[in-house]
Amino acid sequence: MIRFENVTKVYDQKARPALDSVNLEIDRGEFAFLVGASGSGKSTFLRLVLKEDRATSGAVYVAGQNVANISSWRVPRLRRGIGVVFQDFRLLPQKNVFANVAFAMQVIGKSRSIIRDTVPEVLKTVGLEGKEHRMPHELSGGEQQRVAIARAVVNRPGILLADEPTGNLDPTTSMGIMGVLDKINQNGTTVVMATHDDDIVNEMRKRVVELRNGVVIRDEARALYTSMIPVVGQSRRFKDASGRPDGSAADPGDGSVSSQAGEAQ
Amino acid sequence: MRLAFILSEIGSGLRRNLSMVVSVILVTFVSLTFVGAAGMLQLQINQMKGYWYDKVQVAIFLCGDGSTAAGCATGTATPEQQENLRTLLESPAVAQYINDFQFESKDEAYKHFKEQFSNSPIVDSVTPDQLPASFRINMKDPEKYQIISETFSSQPGVETVIDQRQVLERLFSVMNAASLVAVIIAGVMIVCAILLIATTIRLSAFSRRRETGIMRLVGASKTVIQLPFILEGVIAAVIGAALASGTLWAVAHFFLGEYMSKQYPDTAFISPAQTLILAPALIGLGATLAGISSLLTLRRYLRV
Ligand SMILES: Nc1ncnc2c1ncn2[C@@H]1O[C@H](COP(=O)(O)OP(=O)(O)O)[C@@H](O)[C@H]1O
Ligand SMILES: [Mg+2]
Repeated sequence: MIRFENVTKVYDQKARPALDSVNLEIDRGEFAFLVGASGSGKSTFLRLVLKEDRATSGAVYVAGQNVANISSWRVPRLRRGIGVVFQDFRLLPQKNVFANVAFAMQVIGKSRSIIRDTVPEVLKTVGLEGKEHRMPHELSGGEQQRVAIARAVVNRPGILLADEPTGNLDPTTSMGIMGVLDKINQNGTTVVMATHDDDIVNEMRKRVVELRNGVVIRDEARALYTSMIPVVGQSRRFKDASGRPDGSAADPGDGSVSSQAGEAQ
Repeated sequence: MRLAFILSEIGSGLRRNLSMVVSVILVTFVSLTFVGAAGMLQLQINQMKGYWYDKVQVAIFLCGDGSTAAGCATGTATPEQQENLRTLLESPAVAQYINDFQFESKDEAYKHFKEQFSNSPIVDSVTPDQLPASFRINMKDPEKYQIISETFSSQPGVETVIDQRQVLERLFSVMNAASLVAVIIAGVMIVCAILLIATTIRLSAFSRRRETGIMRLVGASKTVIQLPFILEGVIAAVIGAALASGTLWAVAHFFLGEYMSKQYPDTAFISPAQTLILAPALIGLGATLAGISSLLTLRRYLRV
């Protein structure tokens, strides 16, 4: 569904690349976490999938198509196949819940009757039935994020990208959001979620792709936030952006413990 | 649905930016009024030129019923007098100075008069009898007017010889200068209008960046995202152009039609209806200016 072939993204010639020779394939229907410290290139990865930016070198394939070959007037069609949610929800404050979700259908020309039928259905999927007429400021953070998810999937995209969707939420609320994302994934949508929330990753036990300084240093199925396999070579000596030594790698097989230690800091 | 959506977006954009929209309307109104004023002056010049102005320079008017000139002692010019004048015009002594000439009978004079003064009440009180017949002469060199005047003024049957250009040229040069000034002012105002439209669109795009960001993410087409902004500018400019057209019509109707035509009954003024041919041009110009300046602005400030 998403394939990166040797993708490098350089924003600033003087700085290191935001993504450095990334090779990665995410299949249809998969649920993958993109983890790594802040600045490791997670958002850049998602932006390249959306063709918000172009790769400096290498090729990005979405649904079998090289996005570099999509002309600018067909980019909207690419984006209709991809839903996105962000840490900051990005709801329209003067529209109620129903209108926020309906907006995504209106702007691509869906008819009023289809909107009337589809929106309540999607709101039910994300667990917001009965709250159609609330305004965003009358909702909790978790509920706002559910509205954002409903808006992202209302046009039935094949892919859902989530950039730290639980970053502003407390752990319990976050788990509720994860339930919604999991349900959407069960319905066949490929989900890629960038996060550095270790509890969630550990709880979900999904595929984990770890980035560090733009390089994929780990790609494990049904994994934990920190690796259970020793990281080979020099990366052992690397420190991540928070300055915390990569202690987990030094202690094979003890990922969950060290991740809790990390949380305690 | 998409159309309804775009329309509601335009409506909310216009409401949200009301003061900027009003200033765009006013600036395009003033600038296009100046453009229209220049156009109106040119129409007025054409009107005053009448049927003959561009074709001939000198007119020899023949005696009419009430003529009092020395050569008109015998009353209305007779056919023989007319023939004599024609022979004289064709004689080598005179013919060397002229390209050609035409005879305008009383009936033709009446027809041309009716055309030129169609907007003036004077036309109803004039009959063909009151208008003199004339020879209209196209000079090889308009400066040689004096020779024609000397030769014909004293001929029997000639009331007067007139160099039409001399009468109107000075007035026209003043009017042309006035149109030039109007065009220059219009040019400066149009630059203001373009900059103001660009600023308005930019503010509008900024104040709705949240919406447009979401539209982009969910895959709205470039048209759906940009059209409301472009039409916002175009609608404001078209309203300004319509106001300018209305102003020109009012000037033609009230100032020229009601006031000037009574002060100067022997001058042909343009009709209010004639100014309306300027309206489509002004509206088109306003819409084009707004369309182009908003397109250029959006390309920089509203990434799609
Ligand atoms: N628009 C940009 N211009 C320049 N540098 C950028 C831009 N976006 C991201 N970067 C840089 O690219 C690197 C990766 O950023 P990002 O993908 O946002 O990381 P993450 O989402 O994992 O925190 C960072 O060093 C960041 O400073
Ligand atoms: Mg990020």
